[in-house]
Amino acid sequence: MLRYVTKRLLLMIPTVFVVSLITFYIIQLPPGDFMTTYIAEAEAAGERLDLQAIRMMRENYGLDRPWYVQYGKWIGGIVTRGDFGFSFKYNRPVMTIIRQRMAITIFISLVSLLFTYMIAIPVGIFSATHQYTWGDYLTTLLGFLGMATPNFLLGIILMYLSFRWFGNPMLGLQSPEYIGLPLSIPVIVDFVKHLIIPVIVIGTAGASSLIRVMRGQLLDELRQPYVETALAKGLSWRRLLFKYPVRAAINPILSTLGWTLTAIFSGSTITAIVLNLPTQGPVMYEALLSQDMYLAGSWLLILTVLTVIGTLVSDILLAWLDPRIREEYS
Amino acid sequence: MTMGTCRLLVAALVLAALGAPAFAGGGREQTTNDDTTMMSEATHEAPMLHAMVEDGSLPPLEERLPIASDVMVEEVHEEGQYGGDWRMPWKGIDDKWALSFITEEALFRFRTDGEGVEPNVAKGYDVNDDATEYTIYLREGMKWSDGEPFTAADVLFYWDHMLLPETFGKALYDCYYSVDPETGERVRAEVEKVDDYTVKITHAFPSPLFLERVAIDNKWFFAPAHFYETILPEFIGDARAQEVAEEWGFADAGALGKWTGYYYWVWPERPTVRAWVASNDPNSQRFIMERNPYFWKTDPEGNQLPYIDRIVVDKAEGDTALLDAISGGIDLLGFPFTDFTMLKENESQGDYRVIQWNSSALASTGVMLNQTFDDPHLRPLFRDIRFREALSVAVDREALSEIVTDGLTEPRQAALLPGIPNYRASWETKWIDYDVDRANALLDEIGLPWNSEHTRRSFSDGTPLELVIFYSQDGNATRDAESELLKSYYEAVGITTIIRPIDQGLYHEMKYANQIPASLLGGIGTVNVAFRPDNFLPLRVLTEWYGHYGLYNQTEGEEGVEPTGDVAKLLENWSRVVAAKSREEVDEWADRIIDIHEKNVWMIGYTSPLPHLFIVKNDMRNVPSGLVFCDEFRGIGHGRPSQFFFEQ
Repeated sequence: MLRYVTKRLLLMIPTVFVVSLITFYIIQLPPGDFMTTYIAEAEAAGERLDLQAIRMMRENYGLDRPWYVQYGKWIGGIVTRGDFGFSFKYNRPVMTIIRQRMAITIFISLVSLLFTYMIAIPVGIFSATHQYTWGDYLTTLLGFLGMATPNFLLGIILMYLSFRWFGNPMLGLQSPEYIGLPLSIPVIVDFVKHLIIPVIVIGTAGASSLIRVMRGQLLDELRQPYVETALAKGLSWRRLLFKYPVRAAINPILSTLGWTLTAIFSGSTITAIVLNLPTQGPVMYEALLSQDMYLAGSWLLILTVLTVIGTLVSDILLAWLDPRIREEYS
Repeated sequence: MTMGTCRLLVAALVLAALGAPAFAGGGREQTTNDDTTMMSEATHEAPMLHAMVEDGSLPPLEERLPIASDVMVEEVHEEGQYGGDWRMPWKGIDDKWALSFITEEALFRFRTDGEGVEPNVAKGYDVNDDATEYTIYLREGMKWSDGEPFTAADVLFYWDHMLLPETFGKALYDCYYSVDPETGERVRAEVEKVDDYTVKITHAFPSPLFLERVAIDNKWFFAPAHFYETILPEFIGDARAQEVAEEWGFADAGALGKWTGYYYWVWPERPTVRAWVASNDPNSQRFIMERNPYFWKTDPEGNQLPYIDRIVVDKAEGDTALLDAISGGIDLLGFPFTDFTMLKENESQGDYRVIQWNSSALASTGVMLNQTFDDPHLRPLFRDIRFREALSVAVDREALSEIVTDGLTEPRQAALLPGIPNYRASWETKWIDYDVDRANALLDEIGLPWNSEHTRRSFSDGTPLELVIFYSQDGNATRDAESELLKSYYEAVGITTIIRPIDQGLYHEMKYANQIPASLLGGIGTVNVAFRPDNFLPLRVLTEWYGHYGLYNQTEGEEGVEPTGDVAKLLENWSRVVAAKSREEVDEWADRIIDIHEKNVWMIGYTSPLPHLFIVKNDMRNVPSGLVFCDEFRGIGHGRPSQFFFEQ
């Protein structure tokens, strides 16, 4: 097992390297560079830029060099100094920008993830154990509705309803009058109120598909001969259900942990833009649009590392949970 | 991430777990502001400042203002009350200009009637008879926002250490050059200090528009010397400058110079002379500008401006401004005209009023053909005046107005608006009648035969004729409808039209590479051709109709396409405007430029410009309506925001 983990850890290095190379190349692919966006925005604001100034800025940013030189400089800084470079747009170190929104992003993601699991697992179990009853049909219908509704649309609908009923669309995570106030009960209540829509919106999509997965897996398990054997031996239904089939059916949730980790880190981009949430998603979206390379590149690099780690963690968890898989390693 | 936020998150988790009452109550909760902000006759200053004076942390008002005769008295619509926060969303530091426009204090500013400039930071000026020597008087006793005196040394410092060495990455502005009428040579002006409060600018040749041009090119012709002496490499050495830059979070001293030298108003450390000054890191979720205790303007009663305590902007991730506005979360913000109905419908719910300002654009819809487009068939066609006339008369402007702008615009050509210098009615109404037969006759005459099915035209040698119209997706909702309608009208006279909406960055890349054959007109315009001619003359790569003629001028002939014919005449006339000895002469040559434009119609317009909208909270007062909204006048800044106030 230890050898397996070590091997996997070593394999990560070339994987991350290749992925970072490819992502950096792809970020550069669209025509133009950061300066193009900068000029466009400056002109729209009425600024006039002369060619000399534009050339100077390109040189300053190193944009006049080929992409692999820029990549080399950037990755070199990360490996040798842990320096992820500067964001052109914010004129700040990349890590400062990423750190700024990290806690809030992870918090929202975790709460939504919790919400997802709290809904999906019980509903999935209910749905599978009550197959083809009205309850199953209802949850199936709701599940499909949830899957088919784009997150951002649900966000807009909920904001509209909130605006119509309460006169407040609940934009952002705090009401303006509470921002910057010291911690107190009203501030927290206000914050929790603002969490409701994002958590429902981000959680619903995940929950809907997870309900389907859970239901399908559990149905498979329930038809296994060991279930009948256990019942025949007199094991109570409830005890049986949670001890064996549910445990087996939960595997897919663990094996997708690799992606879940990246989702936690990035937050939900489109939803965050629609709901005006100060999470990573919108910042990175802007970075990609304006070709703020080091910011976008660093972000994608971190996502890559998280995906690779997440995959490893989910493999280890699976082995821990499922003796069948564990046997294969030893 | 601050400690406070971390604690908040933890606390919220706990509370969420306990099942905190969700959506408790409804409606908007207002924190009550219990300090009474009544205007006090005795103090003439904001209560928050008065309290600081009382406890000795701030000098008394008389010491903060310039000497009595040099205080600038701002006209106000009505005497205001101190207090309140001006709340609005912004897109973060990218949106820096929005805050600049509100807080900007120029040396000379445009009058609200649009007729030229008046002293602002400057107290006054003298100019000699041939417009070569400008003596500018400053306000004695005026202070920077950190309390340091503002003197002629600050103007000289800006000139010597920031403008000339290009500390903030901009070449010296055109306004500081005068032109030899004989040779066309550009000569840089000389700036000298006469005494502590007087500066003299000497041009080698007459520059009658100097003040207006400074008001456009270089509004802040001054910088706090005492501050820059602590950050610029030439004063503290390269190594120390690098340290300072890193302390501020910048990569190097160059970036620091650029960001604090040009976009200076968002940095709390940088003293300014504006009504509100930055008070925290502009990269924060909430950025706050607080009143400048040393602001040098008062209302006629002697009350120090500004009335409003703070400008508070929260970072918005997307287009949530409209929703924010109709739910009452915004005090004052501009909106495009397309939001008119939505804003009006929710006026009472959002507790605001919608006011309109006029546009300085030439037209709201229209098209431009790139005169230098590098295609053997299209370039001659685009340069053919008959083709432009055909495109102009092939479109039913009434229908366009109804569909694209709800009938709120009038048919017109892309011409100067009434009230703007060099206006002429004949240009405004040139080629505006809908006449398909005329368009077809012109196209036949050019030699663009129909195909056998009579569905489309081609060039006479059989090459297919395709007009590709690009526009940048900058969120302007009317563009899609406009371009589709134009396509249908153009195709009705046989011109195959392809519409290409593309990303803003790509659009600019293509513009610089001269790859845009045709484009939508957009909001281009001017308040005075002589002040800001960019859209009318190929001075640099900017407006699509002149394409790489602009590059030719910008690179002094090294790259681009050499202007010929009428375009060359435009530039000739412009050099005469620049070298003019008097305003009359300026006007005369500007007139010639407009003559050439009227003759050629390089910019084809279809409907009149739309007004610009602002929503203003009902308790916010002194916000004028009906002014001209444009970059030259600095948007809402033209309404003199320091005298806006909240009724308490």
